[in-house]
Amino acid sequence: MGRPSYPLAVLIFSRSWPQRIALGWLSVVLLTAALAPVLPLPYLPNVPDLSQVSQPPFSIGKHWLGTDSQGLDILSQLVFGARTAVALTLPATVMAALLGAIAGGAAGFWLNQSRLAAPYWLLLVACVWWALSLPWPWLVLVGAAAASGCLLAIAKWRQRPLPAWRLPLDSIVMAIATTLDTIPRLILVVAIAAGTSVAIQGMLLLLALTSWPQPARLVRAQMLRVRVLPFVEAARATGFSPGRVWLWHALPHAVQPLRAAFPLSMAGLLGLESTLSFLGIGLPPNVASWGRLLAGIRHDQSAWWIAFFPCLCLITSILSLYILSRHQSSQP
Amino acid sequence: MVRSALWHLFRTGLAVWVLASVVFLLSYRSLNATTELVLPDTTDLATTTTAVARRAAQQAIRQRLGLDLPLFYIGRNDGNGWHWNGQHNQYHRWAGRLLHGDLGTSFRTGQAVSSQLGTALAYTLPLTGTAAVLAVLGALGLAQRLATRPWWHRAGRGILLGLHALPLFVVALALLLLLANPEMLAWFPTYGLDDAADEQLDATTQFVRYIWHLVLPVAALTLSALPDFTLQLEAALTQELRAGYAITARAKGLSEQGIIRNHVLRNALLPTLTQVAQLLPALVAGAVVVEVVFALPGMGRLLAEAAANRDFPILVGGVLLTGLARLLALLLADLLYLWADPRIRWQS
Amino acid sequence: MLLTFGCSKRKHSSDATIRIRWAHDPETLDPLSLHNQAALDAYNLLNISLLQADASTQTLAPALAEALPSVQFLNDSITAIGYRIRSVAAWDSGQPVLASDVDFTLKLMLCPGLPNEVAQSQYHFIRALQVAANDPRRFSFLCRGRSIEYAHTTGDFFILPEAELDPHGSLRHFDLADFQYRRAEIATDSGIQTVVRHYLAAITSQATRQLPGCGAYQLVKWEKDRYITFHRKSHWWADQVRPTPFVLQARPQQLTYAIIPDAATATLALQRGEIDLYPRVPAHEFSRLRASSTAAKTLRFYTSDSHDVATAGFNTRHPILADAQTRRALSQCFDAAGLLRATQLGQGQPTVGLISPNDHLNYNDSIAPLPFVPKSAAALLRQAGWRPSRMGEVMGWTRTPVRGPRQELRLALRYRAGDELFATVALQFQAAAASIDVPVQLLPTESGAFSQALQTGDFDVYLRTLGGNPFMFNFIPILHTAGIGAGNASGYSTPASDQLIEAIAAADSKIRRAQLLRRFQAMMQDQSPMAPLFFLPNRVAASRNLTGIHVNSLKPGYSVMTLAWDSAPQVP
Repeated sequence: MGRPSYPLAVLIFSRSWPQRIALGWLSVVLLTAALAPVLPLPYLPNVPDLSQVSQPPFSIGKHWLGTDSQGLDILSQLVFGARTAVALTLPATVMAALLGAIAGGAAGFWLNQSRLAAPYWLLLVACVWWALSLPWPWLVLVGAAAASGCLLAIAKWRQRPLPAWRLPLDSIVMAIATTLDTIPRLILVVAIAAGTSVAIQGMLLLLALTSWPQPARLVRAQMLRVRVLPFVEAARATGFSPGRVWLWHALPHAVQPLRAAFPLSMAGLLGLESTLSFLGIGLPPNVASWGRLLAGIRHDQSAWWIAFFPCLCLITSILSLYILSRHQSSQP
Repeated sequence: MVRSALWHLFRTGLAVWVLASVVFLLSYRSLNATTELVLPDTTDLATTTTAVARRAAQQAIRQRLGLDLPLFYIGRNDGNGWHWNGQHNQYHRWAGRLLHGDLGTSFRTGQAVSSQLGTALAYTLPLTGTAAVLAVLGALGLAQRLATRPWWHRAGRGILLGLHALPLFVVALALLLLLANPEMLAWFPTYGLDDAADEQLDATTQFVRYIWHLVLPVAALTLSALPDFTLQLEAALTQELRAGYAITARAKGLSEQGIIRNHVLRNALLPTLTQVAQLLPALVAGAVVVEVVFALPGMGRLLAEAAANRDFPILVGGVLLTGLARLLALLLADLLYLWADPRIRWQS
Repeated sequence: MLLTFGCSKRKHSSDATIRIRWAHDPETLDPLSLHNQAALDAYNLLNISLLQADASTQTLAPALAEALPSVQFLNDSITAIGYRIRSVAAWDSGQPVLASDVDFTLKLMLCPGLPNEVAQSQYHFIRALQVAANDPRRFSFLCRGRSIEYAHTTGDFFILPEAELDPHGSLRHFDLADFQYRRAEIATDSGIQTVVRHYLAAITSQATRQLPGCGAYQLVKWEKDRYITFHRKSHWWADQVRPTPFVLQARPQQLTYAIIPDAATATLALQRGEIDLYPRVPAHEFSRLRASSTAAKTLRFYTSDSHDVATAGFNTRHPILADAQTRRALSQCFDAAGLLRATQLGQGQPTVGLISPNDHLNYNDSIAPLPFVPKSAAALLRQAGWRPSRMGEVMGWTRTPVRGPRQELRLALRYRAGDELFATVALQFQAAAASIDVPVQLLPTESGAFSQALQTGDFDVYLRTLGGNPFMFNFIPILHTAGIGAGNASGYSTPASDQLIEAIAAADSKIRRAQLLRRFQAMMQDQSPMAPLFFLPNRVAASRNLTGIHVNSLKPGYSVMTLAWDSAPQVP
């Protein structure tokens, strides 16, 4: 589903007003995130002003948007929070979507019918052996690698296909997905935060790794319908390798549901981070984030400005992402 | 057909068992914090406990809870070898009891895990169940209207997205501060399920009070689940409306509403069904945020507190329970799939 | 029609239920393992101990005991604490409370198979019980070592009825010494096993979940994570004691503790009259309510000092923090006064040590709290041998001791995640330390993982609250060598301080102890294994019509037994 690449000007001016505003806002967020350290902010985001606690916005003094109940400047929290959102939450969402698209797409395309040749099975067993550190792990690994290399060479020389067994790809992917989302995400995260002291950056990575099942299910469901469509069948019949048909013909159609889902899952991740702060296990206080700022409302519910500004940023960003994603999916 | 359904169920059941075992083995591996948290905090000047006494107490706790046994059939030495522990191990005991339907007893309260989970579930299901039904119905109605592109569809989508961007606790707190606040509108009660002090009320009044207390929590949950469903379904509907058969139907002169209801909805439901089926485990697991904000008892708080207190029997029991819910959900989803799209045949 | 349910106003009659907010469920009402303050408060209604804290005078007063105990030093290694139980004291069954019940309780504390490890480690110093031959109510605890504090510690456990829990007297066949030294052997005794089974069934049964007691209240209903209701017994033995001492009063007819985890919800409930008393109100909520004119019509606000002190501690086991000078320098990076202003909004007290400034006898007023001067901290660091130099990418402090590798001054600061007070303290410390080029990494840690990190010494600086009281000054668990691995998280241990702590514990008069305590405070400020920041205030908000709250610095901060509705309600 190749799309002609537009010049930059067309990219901006060919759009409706909402789309221009959305694009504008997202560029502002990106720019702010990139330039946060050099912006002339009157206060640092992680230095509490102990004499100005819970100050309302637009009052005398230099705290333009006020301070929270810890005496942190809201404006600089917002600016550096944009940085956190771009550098942490966005990559996590992208990673989850990618992982989901690949896993779900492959599972839906090949189902349980693909076959894997014997040498690869041998390597797989050796890897498991090594991971469990059964006796002589390295020896087994090297031995298996050598054996499978030999087998492949022999097969090439004899020009005869090797014995291959079925790989239940669909079952494996779905089993992992099922296992992962059997435990509700919030409980999983709370339990992990309780059991181990993972650093929070590691935690977001972990969130990405645990939130791929949902995109995977969406893509798989779509793939089940796409793989039997005439044009995929036609591509297969032309003699393309299955991998190529999958990547270039089937997958671009199968990922359609992700377009609408992406801004939503981004919102979900931002919200989750905020909820973790609400439950007391969020990012450390020296990392500014919209979510943590928002969670600060529980400490001082009369200070509306603590929740208002981050809510505004969150909603605008999610709306902008959504508007842009709708635009792309409505293109021919 | 029946055989493949059974095989499907068996496979998922196996996955649930493996999951519960993994959670069991991982959590019981590090029990220092458990024994640490049973003992009183060392930050009180009134304690007379020395380090020696504390270590002895920890050892005694391990013994009492049966945690001094080896964890699994095989264990790993400090060197790199493996050794056999025999049947006298924690996993064997746990699995054996589980097969007899005994989930064990809580580390903290000494009560049976099944009774604690049962009590919590009785509070959680009405709350989350009502919210889920309302959200699904709301999404079905809203998405169909939105897909016909009425004049308000942009604004409607915007509001839904804005709502979705807000974390659940913000929605819950906002409802609380707007509708249960004597300084704003004090229409609904702030916490709990009924007024604990008044016990001598007739059944009808009690029921009405119960419903009255549930309005805000259910509203918060519904509002937070609604946008996700609606937008997903609406996106699918819009895409389907561009498909050939919809255009044909339009050419036949059917109304947009009619096309959606009679032709498109079925196909568009496909991706949404996965989401709806996904809901079931979440229903069982409760909604910790809403339970905290509205001071409701339930699974969410039970499990979150069990995690914080390292009350592993409760935690493993909760995982098993959500696993069972997942089993049911999968079955349901497969049936719904079959109903919605006859092109898909059961694989494997 | 429905609206009336939401808005129905409660009427205050003299016997209406009093509703109090709790943040947590008490989990168990097992006197041998009470997990939290809520459990302790709840159990205090069901049963009373020999001595109880008197909120009106902030001292310990005799409750089940007739008078304060007598202290006798038998020899260097044994202290005898003598009590006599009140003659009128009786269990619900009508049986009198006797010294044999105390003996039974001590055995239960050591009985194998019961969840009694906490009680065991707390009362391990009681060696034997001596019952007077001529008076079944008079007895003495024989305690190991010499200490006047045994007079307090022996009086604060709950006594259980032998006749109801062990009707056959199975535990009487064994001595206390058997429970202390031959636990494995007696665990197989069938009589003991029966008692254990009965006990466990009683505390875990869904229906009662309680043991018989001799307190003024009985449990009516307990819904986990919702509420717990107590009702005043119509006939309680202490009603006969005239004049009724403060600790034996029990005025509320019905008490309900509502469990509301979130502070914002609790505030709303209080404003709407859905709860009547809200202890430990967060600072911001408290000041907001106090400023609100509508809240002032229905609520009253009380504050007092508490014995909880916010503390920073250093890991003295790490080479970079092993010397007192470095620790003192870093202590000066805490802006205690500013933090007190910002987080407690003017309430609370600055302090030099772990003893409350209100304790005029023991508080060392001749030394000043450490000032907040990062500049002089830098000078102190220089004196401690640190030199400004490059640490990787940034500027910092390094030193090379005579023996051992080069050290870099960088700190990992741990505190309990979700605690707003310590999050602010941590940010302030990080900023002040950064101003003198000391990099600090903040590690908010989940509660259980935090306790474990403190035990294993996986931190450089920690922040936590230490709970004190005006009766006992036992620093052995917190700062003595014997406490390393228990409460002594900083791992501080020097021969001089160990000696002083032991002397405080063994002091035989209050004057002598006060002298030693003053010396101890000066020594601790000089050595700085921990930096006490300030004493936290205690804030209580309650309905205007509620009287007899007696807000005080002892936990739980108010007196529940004397609560009553004002007979002339001012609010309709």
